[in-house]
Amino acid sequence: MSGNQSDETNGIIDYPSALERTGDDSEFLTELLDLYVREFSPAYEKLLTAVIGKNFTAVREIGHGLKGSSANLSLLGLREAAYRMETAGREEDAAKAEKALADIEKEFQRLQEHLATR
Amino acid sequence: MSSSPKTTVLIAEDDAVSRELLRKTLTSWGYEVILTTDGAQAWAAILQNKSRIIILDWMMPKLDGLEICRKVRDTITDRYTYIILLTSKGDSDDVIEGLTAGADDYVTKPFSRPELKARLLTGKRIINLETQLLETQKRLHELATRDGLTTLWNRSAILQILEEETERSRREQAPLGTIMIDIDRFKDINDSYGHLSGDTVLVTIARRLMDNVRPYDKIGRYGGDEILVVLPHCNWTHLEIIADRLQKAVAGEKIEISGHKKAIDVTISIGGTSFDGIGEKPVDRLIMESDKALYEAKNEGRNRYKMAKPEGKDE
Repeated sequence: MSGNQSDETNGIIDYPSALERTGDDSEFLTELLDLYVREFSPAYEKLLTAVIGKNFTAVREIGHGLKGSSANLSLLGLREAAYRMETAGREEDAAKAEKALADIEKEFQRLQEHLATR
Repeated sequence: MSSSPKTTVLIAEDDAVSRELLRKTLTSWGYEVILTTDGAQAWAAILQNKSRIIILDWMMPKLDGLEICRKVRDTITDRYTYIILLTSKGDSDDVIEGLTAGADDYVTKPFSRPELKARLLTGKRIINLETQLLETQKRLHELATRDGLTTLWNRSAILQILEEETERSRREQAPLGTIMIDIDRFKDINDSYGHLSGDTVLVTIARRLMDNVRPYDKIGRYGGDEILVVLPHCNWTHLEIIADRLQKAVAGEKIEISGHKKAIDVTISIGGTSFDGIGEKPVDRLIMESDKALYEAKNEGRNRYKMAKPEGKDE
């Protein structure tokens, strides 16, 4: 991570917490964020298909996975939206799943914009 | 943490970010890491005994962490595998479910570095303790089954081996040979050179015999100077070849005795028999036939081998 990290918790990423998890290795955190971004698209495609098809098992599982990887990088907004997606899958609530999907997309966009400015 | 020897940890995690985070974190702590991306891969690696400490993600494709826990506890019984379940679930029901399925410990995602480090050290400690226990058990087994002087199998162990090999021979209908060996004039050696020299002779002969049998043959000290060799998949022809080799291996080179200027000539007499794996031939009969052949060898002048006559042959 080349820029300064004084923004700390900006609603997108909690840097102090993420850095603590990477052993204060900011380069490694950057690598992990890049990996997260690369892995996001295929996961999102699967999630979209699952939400449209009302495949609630897949909705729950993909939501669960996204929640885990987001939590590891302290991606606050994405973690929260993924948690709501997992819950929607468990409750088999299509409307909640659609809302969570829109939030995930929005949060991911925020993350990308944030990363682009750093 | 000491860098050597490295403890290997198997990580089973389908999420790429978590997997990479764990890989780099554990590597920086000095662990050797094996990565698997789903339950089936992890199970294959466990069966190959690639690691004794495993970090398992709870939810994985193909085989989830809980199922792997159960399979490990049901299947892997010859060694202990320390399992840490990694999950974003956190309530007590899940903890109970995980531990009941066979997990030893539990770390919630996102993991705390100091906590994971401490839990891995606990796992390492348990595995090290178990390794020491198994080594002690192995040493005790050796003490209980080996002859202290010659390191050959002791009497009860070689009889047990013979019992098992006879069963196997019958099951596979494969030949099994037995050879009984007696050191010629061993009492005279003890009387002339002392019992310590007698021990040297026994140890030397044991080593020569071990050097001249096949890797899967078993040699045991049957009595004072009587030695029993069990030879799986050995028919009459091979039995004679091996007996001849053993007899020459002992007689062909003198044995040095400490405190005596001249090395001494020592010979052995050998009696052998074979079981073709068909029908009945109990262990005591194999021993009796080998013994009988051995006494024939003795009576015919020692330093030779004699084979019991094959059943059904008139020669």
